[in-house]
Amino acid sequence: MTGADPARTAGELLGVVPDRVWLALFVLVLGLALAILVGVINRRLLVRAGVPEAIEGTTFERTAREFDTSTVRIVAKLSTYFIVAVTVLVAFTVAEVRYVDLFWSDVAAFVPRLFVAVLVVIVGVVVGDKAELLVAERLRGIKLPEVGVLPTLVKYSIVYVAALIALGQVGVQTLALVVLLAAYSFAVVLLTALATKDLLAAGAAGIFLLLRQPYGIGDEIRVAGQRGIVQEVDLFVTHVETDDGEHVLPNHAVFREGIVLIRE
Amino acid sequence: MASLTDHLAELVEDADAVLLFSPTASFHDRFVADEAGDRSDERAEIVVVAPDNDVDADPFVELPIPFRDVRDRIRFGIEGAMESDLVAEGDEVVCVVSVFEGESDAVIRVTVDENVHTGIYDLFVESRADPGVIRDVLEVAIELGKKGQKGKPVGALFVVGDAGKVMNKSRSLSYNPFEKSHVHVGDPIVNVMLKEFSRLDGAFVISDSGKIASAYRYLEPAAEGVDIPKGLGARHMAGGAITQDTNATAIVLSESDGLVRAFKGGRLVLEVDPEEY
Repeated sequence: MTGADPARTAGELLGVVPDRVWLALFVLVLGLALAILVGVINRRLLVRAGVPEAIEGTTFERTAREFDTSTVRIVAKLSTYFIVAVTVLVAFTVAEVRYVDLFWSDVAAFVPRLFVAVLVVIVGVVVGDKAELLVAERLRGIKLPEVGVLPTLVKYSIVYVAALIALGQVGVQTLALVVLLAAYSFAVVLLTALATKDLLAAGAAGIFLLLRQPYGIGDEIRVAGQRGIVQEVDLFVTHVETDDGEHVLPNHAVFREGIVLIRE
Repeated sequence: MASLTDHLAELVEDADAVLLFSPTASFHDRFVADEAGDRSDERAEIVVVAPDNDVDADPFVELPIPFRDVRDRIRFGIEGAMESDLVAEGDEVVCVVSVFEGESDAVIRVTVDENVHTGIYDLFVESRADPGVIRDVLEVAIELGKKGQKGKPVGALFVVGDAGKVMNKSRSLSYNPFEKSHVHVGDPIVNVMLKEFSRLDGAFVISDSGKIASAYRYLEPAAEGVDIPKGLGARHMAGGAITQDTNATAIVLSESDGLVRAFKGGRLVLEVDPEEY
């Protein structure tokens, strides 16, 4: 009798707790393990894909570094938390905790969207930072204060779009912001087209010249009233060296006026 | 009793300029802060010479290649500083350089005179071709000199810049393998191609922007009055002469002694041993 007593008490205790709760606990443990596993795999995948090198030096990454973490780790953690949140919800459903049913069903629908929104914001900020760095790098040779506006503009355009998507995800009314974006992008496209009209024409002519090579380096030609030796042909311009200097002619001018090849 | 510091203080006394070669950011900041505190008239000009302007220094001279030879590196720095009127002939210049790998470990005092001036800065910066193109071609030549073509030493002749004129002062020995192609030096695959084609006779002609205009060119410059050191062969003579006749720069890899030489304006400007890079 005395020997069987503790075992029976334990059995009774187990009986008191309903099966559902055990199932819920099991789901919870499984979910947590899965969450940690996914977090680790996610981090490895991102590292393997070369994300840390690609985003090196961006403001977001540097801020993350200051808090002794990194963007990759934050994204991996985020996926972990997402799975944990889903697990907890599933566990509650399995355990049939009725009095919170109404509240949780709303949350269950909201969690994935919040997750996507946060992810979009992070990706947007990082890509914006990276684009800013790349543009700044390209323009480094031009030491004009006005040029400094360009990288910032590129960055905030990207962040703005990311914020729009994120807000749309969590269900905020974004119509006004979308209209603003449309007006802005229309202006950018129009102005760029106007400003680069000649460049586009020269580039189109340049593609033909480079493919067909009616003249090459070292040929003597006459074009647009200039007679000289071709020094260089690239996508946009042709360099023609005459006695009084090197003429740089836009390719569409070469195309429009025609070329005279001079052979001796 | 005079200590070591007192003796060595003479080395940096009355310097007109200080050239910092690839300084670390902290070293540069400390240096500039100390110097800015000095309000006296004989404040030395601080010039940073480095491959990249990491420290945002104002008087800055860009090093196109990290010259292993410290003398070449210093010459380049001084000539660059002279070009920007930071240093004049007769000045005393103190150079803080790194002789071995890593941080600055040597202080060298140089008096600027014509012996220092070899035109090594002009070779890169004042040439018709882009400095980057000259650097790329020099790197190909150095690599070719180091490894040779399939283990055997080879010679090569690259004429860089003023390609139109060079083409008119040369003739083709055979079909041009680069006809109608758009390849530029500096591309790793193109560098392999250049090495493969180096077994061909004749010169490579490369344009100002680095486009390979032709291989297999036989150069026909007027060679009167070209002054290149005795003992160099026909390839060097042709390379030296074409630079006198045109505004091109010639980079020649010698088959016999394996050295890479650069010619400009008919003069030998730079001589590097590929084994040292």
